[in-house]
Amino acid sequence: MDNQETTPDISAFLASAIHDMKNSISVLIHFLEDNLSTLDAPAQKQAAPMLYEVKRVNINLIQMLSIYKVGNNFYPFDLTENSIDEFVTEIAAQNQALMDYMGIDLALDYDPDMVWYFDRELVAGVVSHALNNAAHYTNGKLKLSLNEVAGELVIRVEDNGRGYPASVIEAGDAVSKGVSFASGSTGLGLYFSAMVAKLHKNRGKTGSMTLENGGEYGGGCFVLRLP
Amino acid sequence: MISNTNSMFVGKHFLIIDDFQGMRGMLREMLKSFGAKDIDMASNGKEAIASLEQTKYSAVLCDYNLGIGKNGQQILEEAKYRDLIGLSTAWIIITAEKTSDMVVGAAEYMPDDYIIKPVTEATLRGRVEKVMAKKTALHGIEKAISVKDFARAVALCDETLGASKANATDLLRIKTGLLLNMGSYDQAKQVFERILAERDVPWAKTGLAKVAFYMGDAVTARRLLQEVLRENPAYLEAHDWLAKVHEQQGDLDEAQRVLARSTALSPNSYVRQRSLGEIAHKRGDLEAAETAYRKSIKLGEHSILKTPVAHLGLAKLCSASDNPIEALQILKSVGKEFNDQETNFHAKVVEGMVHRKSGDYVAASKAAKEIAEIVQREKNSLPAEVMVEATQLLLETGNKEAAESLVQTIVKNNHENKNLMARVNEVYSQAGMVEEGQNLVENARQEVIEANNRGVTLAKEGKLGEAIEWLRNAKSMLPNNKRILINLANVSVLSMQKNGKNDTLVQEVRECMEKVAKLGADEKWCTQIQNALDAIQKSN
Repeated sequence: MDNQETTPDISAFLASAIHDMKNSISVLIHFLEDNLSTLDAPAQKQAAPMLYEVKRVNINLIQMLSIYKVGNNFYPFDLTENSIDEFVTEIAAQNQALMDYMGIDLALDYDPDMVWYFDRELVAGVVSHALNNAAHYTNGKLKLSLNEVAGELVIRVEDNGRGYPASVIEAGDAVSKGVSFASGSTGLGLYFSAMVAKLHKNRGKTGSMTLENGGEYGGGCFVLRLP
Repeated sequence: MISNTNSMFVGKHFLIIDDFQGMRGMLREMLKSFGAKDIDMASNGKEAIASLEQTKYSAVLCDYNLGIGKNGQQILEEAKYRDLIGLSTAWIIITAEKTSDMVVGAAEYMPDDYIIKPVTEATLRGRVEKVMAKKTALHGIEKAISVKDFARAVALCDETLGASKANATDLLRIKTGLLLNMGSYDQAKQVFERILAERDVPWAKTGLAKVAFYMGDAVTARRLLQEVLRENPAYLEAHDWLAKVHEQQGDLDEAQRVLARSTALSPNSYVRQRSLGEIAHKRGDLEAAETAYRKSIKLGEHSILKTPVAHLGLAKLCSASDNPIEALQILKSVGKEFNDQETNFHAKVVEGMVHRKSGDYVAASKAAKEIAEIVQREKNSLPAEVMVEATQLLLETGNKEAAESLVQTIVKNNHENKNLMARVNEVYSQAGMVEEGQNLVENARQEVIEANNRGVTLAKEGKLGEAIEWLRNAKSMLPNNKRILINLANVSVLSMQKNGKNDTLVQEVRECMEKVAKLGADEKWCTQIQNALDAIQKSN
């Protein structure tokens, strides 16, 4: 007789665990954003990284769940028209508290009348990840710009830090070309961003993700292009 | 938009539905900080429905996953189905992850927006404001739709689209949905093609497939839907339509395969699980049918959209696998659960079949007698498919006369439906009465054709008043006959074109067209009559 225990369907646990964790994260972020401002300046500076860490946990959860669902063709990819103004306003507002506490100046550059077709949650996930990441490496200045270039929406997150190390830029290229799966949390973020880029297609063209150094602020530039 | 917030929240009534106290408190605090004062809270579906019955809310924030009982989607469905929320109520679902039902599911039950957790103040404020503003902007259109004045709704869509770029996608989706509803396929096609000339938009391509399907081009419909699914493998609506196309083409294997995939994508959908059961049942894949029916019954437990189809199908399956005890149990419970005339009748038919199969001929005869009595009274309000099943039981139990009367009703109300008549013929042939069946069908068919032709002849002779009277009379005897409904509408329009607008006739034409649409739209006539009716109303 076969006495082996059957393996439970892990995806069911995964989904319900994430539902639970997301509630906890909501309450945590709300508490931190509300209460950090009541602390004095030095305490605020000490506590600010907690907000960064909680957001990182949230972003990682979203990325893992999305990768799992896209990989199994279950992700409800929702290619709809989005107002760039609403999209940017929302992302900026979500990140305002973090930028304030970390003393970062976030500049926004976009045409408020522009609309573009993309999956709101996935692209917001990519941009939030890029902003959160850049916030960690910048020297106080960040810029989020969205422009139409040659029939593509080009989203750039630029900082004035020391730029990406060559190894990360190489990893970005490799992930984009689908030839490598970099490990660690850098790998997860890059893989997720490249996946989101590739899901966006229009009339034979496919989206892309690149990492560069330089740009307007002379630091790292994260670039997402959506056709 | 963010700056002038208070004015949008003050004086509005909000409802928060969440099972987690921490979230309820947090959302309430946020709404208060935006200026909202009237905020009600519910922690489950039951409380939520009770609140919705009491108050017309401006906005509802509803968590998707509410533990036991209804989920957020099912509360929304019930609220819409029972008209508990107004046209301007903003419904926002709050969820840990986006599901297919929220974004690419059935349009009439989609939320206005959804927020993925974690909920931050900025997101909540932005989204609630945006949806409330959109609801205000589209109010006139939704109002026209609610009174079924589709032509006016389309005109308002065009007007709004011309005035500003805001909500363009929503407006185009509403407009094309209306055009499809009205049977204006060419116009709908033009809009879809214009959108697709700019870029690949899945809903527009799916729309083009719908047009092809309605116009009888199943091959194109299938190709377009497969293209959509190649690029968007989780696009639910395209799955729903592809299954429909396969089924209509008689390719039940493929239909079942597509539905199996869509139930995997949308595991909480009662409706899709039920369709899967039906297709598998038709194909004779009894195991898959049973699984799907059982799942569907479980999912439907809290759903306002549930129908007795899965229960009745499961009862038939139990009977086929020689389990009459469970079959009868299900039939008993279905009567209690639904308790409407149609269900009770259908359950009685299946009960008779179960008894016959298990060899209890006395009980079968008793059921057949009851059915014969019900048919006498209610035959015009019963669905044709169920009546065919009843005919079979009546024949098998020797109630030939009652069967004949039933067949006349079926054929006369559906004299142009070849599939249905083929099924009637099949039932008679199974009972060893091929010729009798054929004669019965043919005679009933001829009778309708003559009645209809008489109305048309009167109209051609210019005796419009008499023609209307004649067709009205035919309609009262055959209330579900599409051809007679269309002709009555058409002659009424002719009469108004000649003698001027008449509110009673306008109303009558509307009712006829609604009934036709319910029975399956007839493109050319629908559009023509609709346009003529609009012209008449404008000229007065």
